Amino acid sequence: MFDKYFPRLYTFVFQHRKWVLGLVLLATVVAGAGLCATRYNGNLDLMLPPDKDITRSMDFLRDSSLSDKVIISLTLTDPARTKKDLFAAVDQLAASLKPPLFTKTIAGFSVANVMEEFSVLQYAPQVLGEEDLASLDSQINPETVSRKIRGIYLQSLRPESIFMSSLSRSDPLGIKMLILNKLRALPASMGYGVNIEDGHFISRDGRHAMMIVQTPVPMMDSQRCKELATALQDKIKGLPAFVTADVISGHLHTASNERVIKRDIEVASIIASIAFLLLFVVLFRDPRVLFVFIIPLIAVVWAIHIAAAFEGRLSYLVIGFGTSIAGISIDYGLLVYIAMKRGADTAQMVKLAKLVTIDAATTMFSFFVLYFSLIQGYHQLALFSILCVFLCLLMSLFVLPLTLSWKQYPLVPAPTLGDRMREFRWPAKLSIGVWVVLTAVALYLSLSVTFDSDVKKLDGSEPGILQAEERFREVWGGKSNQAVFVVTGKSLEEAMEKNDRVCREVSRVITNGDFTSLAQFWPSERQRAENCARWDRFWKEGRADKLKGLIGASSAAYPFSDQAFAPFFDGLYTHRIDAANPDGMIAQLQERFVLHKNGEYRILSYFPDEQHYVDALSGVTRTYSGTFIVSGKAISASLAAFTAKEIRLLAPLAVLFNVVLCWLFFRNWKEALIALVPLVTGMVWFVGIMALFRIPLNIVNIVAAIVTSGVIVDYGLGMTYEYRYNLRIGTVIAVTLSAATNVIGSGALLFANYPALYSTGLAMVICMASGYLSSVIVIPSLCSILGTSRQKTVQE
Amino acid sequence: MIMYWRIGMRVVFSMILCVIVGAGLAFGAETSKGGTPGQADLRELLNTIGKRVSEFKTLKTDFTQEKKMAMFKQKLVLKGRIYLQKPNKIAWHVDSPLRYSVLITDKLIRQWDEDTNQVQEISLTKNPVFQNVLGQLTVWFSGEYGSLLDGNTVRLVKRAPLVIEFTPRENNPAKKVIKNITLTFRDDQKYLQQIRIQELSGDVTTIHFMNTLLNAPLNSSSFEVKGRV
Repeated sequence: MFDKYFPRLYTFVFQHRKWVLGLVLLATVVAGAGLCATRYNGNLDLMLPPDKDITRSMDFLRDSSLSDKVIISLTLTDPARTKKDLFAAVDQLAASLKPPLFTKTIAGFSVANVMEEFSVLQYAPQVLGEEDLASLDSQINPETVSRKIRGIYLQSLRPESIFMSSLSRSDPLGIKMLILNKLRALPASMGYGVNIEDGHFISRDGRHAMMIVQTPVPMMDSQRCKELATALQDKIKGLPAFVTADVISGHLHTASNERVIKRDIEVASIIASIAFLLLFVVLFRDPRVLFVFIIPLIAVVWAIHIAAAFEGRLSYLVIGFGTSIAGISIDYGLLVYIAMKRGADTAQMVKLAKLVTIDAATTMFSFFVLYFSLIQGYHQLALFSILCVFLCLLMSLFVLPLTLSWKQYPLVPAPTLGDRMREFRWPAKLSIGVWVVLTAVALYLSLSVTFDSDVKKLDGSEPGILQAEERFREVWGGKSNQAVFVVTGKSLEEAMEKNDRVCREVSRVITNGDFTSLAQFWPSERQRAENCARWDRFWKEGRADKLKGLIGASSAAYPFSDQAFAPFFDGLYTHRIDAANPDGMIAQLQERFVLHKNGEYRILSYFPDEQHYVDALSGVTRTYSGTFIVSGKAISASLAAFTAKEIRLLAPLAVLFNVVLCWLFFRNWKEALIALVPLVTGMVWFVGIMALFRIPLNIVNIVAAIVTSGVIVDYGLGMTYEYRYNLRIGTVIAVTLSAATNVIGSGALLFANYPALYSTGLAMVICMASGYLSSVIVIPSLCSILGTSRQKTVQE
Repeated sequence: MIMYWRIGMRVVFSMILCVIVGAGLAFGAETSKGGTPGQADLRELLNTIGKRVSEFKTLKTDFTQEKKMAMFKQKLVLKGRIYLQKPNKIAWHVDSPLRYSVLITDKLIRQWDEDTNQVQEISLTKNPVFQNVLGQLTVWFSGEYGSLLDGNTVRLVKRAPLVIEFTPRENNPAKKVIKNITLTFRDDQKYLQQIRIQELSGDVTTIHFMNTLLNAPLNSSSFEVKGRV
């Protein structure tokens, strides 16, 4: 069928070449102009699996207030300057951050009401539970009360007593210690070592201040992230010369990643273009070869629009692949160009078209395999790549010959470099022996390869951002990552009540205080009412009188007045059940623990992101519906499990497609298996070399290797076909140039700073280089040893 | 015990001191703008006095601290000595009614009392309370009075001897606790004669400085806590 229809179509296009070329030119100009208005997607979500836990965690992180915060750390660089100067700079910057990009700035806590909010007699009755009261009960005895009274007296001798002694009047037992136990985990929940001074967050060394800025800009909106980053930098430039600022924000990562990817694509495109041009112009010395070079670019431009019509906004990562795909797809034009330069006749052209079509088919199928993945980004990648390859195939077979035959060109005089390469003989047995040994070694090494499921390592943010984060961690701590336990409810009170129950349950599982919950310092209204009632009963059951008596007896040795502790006893029952003061510290702290999105309240609790905690708390999530855990490590583990499952499906499918296509092409198992040698070599050596250099596999380089399988199998097909049919249409040089262009295309990605692109380039270069070497050394040797019909002629 | 003390300090920090001890720092919250000529004169006066007072490297003084507190039926009178070496080294020794000593430097706090007869040493970076106390003591004892003008209404009570009263403004967190702080200077205006802190609760603390020697040689034993008193 191919033999029948291809010549007809080929002739038809030739007869209408002006129309065809005009249409191609017009469509390319329109598509090229349209690129200016095309928008791309810069986030990695598309590349994440649709696993329920992962999706929920990612949604949570996206929706949470954790992701709409920008943290700024200001540093005094001049030793002569004081905290006062620093605070003035903080206030200046805070005042300059205004809507619409910045909606709220928190530079510290409003301390004016702190004393009232956390006063022993107002706050303690609401938050102290049964165990706390039992602890208090154990202190109401002569020995303890005597020790405490003496402690209060001794405190009055110390310098700090100038301000503090009178506070003991309302707290003779030191109930503030119990309150502290409720509050001490708060800084840990922030993950930072923060002090508060003059209403400002300040580091322990007093040289750094922190401010938290809220923004409505979604972290995934790359355009607005850029605006936010620029606006922030402008404001920071207005700070005094003795203050520097480090900005910590996911928004900067988004903006930076986009910048890095764009730069990488530009650099890779320039390197690949220069390399292609040098290769072709130096080797062929024919300006017409530029048409070969242009074909993949035209295909990429067309494919972007066609793919976007089906998939919407394309991912930058997918476009990044375009550079590599350009390298891959250039093969077809190259084969056609060389064959035409060598004066291939119609029959040879049909055979060549068959080879090129099957090459393109193997490549397209290697991308098609990605449709079996559940990851949406892979589908987008598959569509875009298949379109690129298909368009390249069509243009190579039908448009390129039109441009080449526009004017008469000289045929290549024989013998050429390709002929010399073709006639060169590697020692067959030695070549095969070395290949077998090396492949066996690679196979052995591959057993120790590791897999890195940490998607954060694919983040390509610029060094400045990462250095700022490192400085931030050095100043403010927060090295240990926090996981989040989420409790949901239809109303705030419902969620808080459930959170109280969860907190009690967790306190039995995690006993070392590593679990920080809102329930510990501000429980639900119902719980606070219960606590107040319990507090009142506690003191009315005779304990107030008992304590009064013990204090009277103990204080006789000191000059305490009769009314020394009257504020405590008078205020025992004056507490109220209030909502948190909206301007107070509790309300501000609550912001970190409560989310309200889409009519649902979520209460967050924090704990170290360690597996044993995740395991222990997973049991609690099963007991309480509407609760779940968001853990970076758990996401990584799910990702690893999902990827492993996908690879177990995709890799065999890719191999199966290639094997089937090889057999369909040759209809002969012996030759089909020989043609598969580069594929086996590429895959085994890739994993072996990665293991040898201790470079872990990841979701990106595995997919790149699977995709490359469709490319390197072409080398095997071409070489086996050449030797079987004795085509002499330059297949050896075509395969060599094809490999060179492929390696250039993907090798250009080795100059990328974006880890995902670099990882892709590395995988493709290893696979292609090893696949090519085996195709030019091992396949001819195998053909000669196994007696493949090398002497068969094209007439067969 | 140390842990207990640390916890106590943190409680105070979390709940109270950010208000109270922060008072002096809050004084610097917002510089008064467009003040009256009187305030401008006072700023000038404070700066002049501050410059005069701060012209020393070391300080040695006896003190008597009187506390008139509702908690005690009579005035609590402490007697002791203060040794100060700029920029950040202060020893506070109480001789009566109980012996107590504390050394505060820019890095650590070392204290001793006869009750426990043990020396406790704590890193200052972990104790913002003492950091702030040190800051306050530095302001008062070193003569950096200019900074007190911010966040406080300043009133010249008397010229001879010079008496200046600081009253926290509404936006000053100290307003919730402190009614006013009054500084009385020596006749030569080279150092303080008295500091009086009046709280809203009615408690009053007065520190009298006596036998004050500026730039007197201090040996290391002045800053020892155990056995010094």
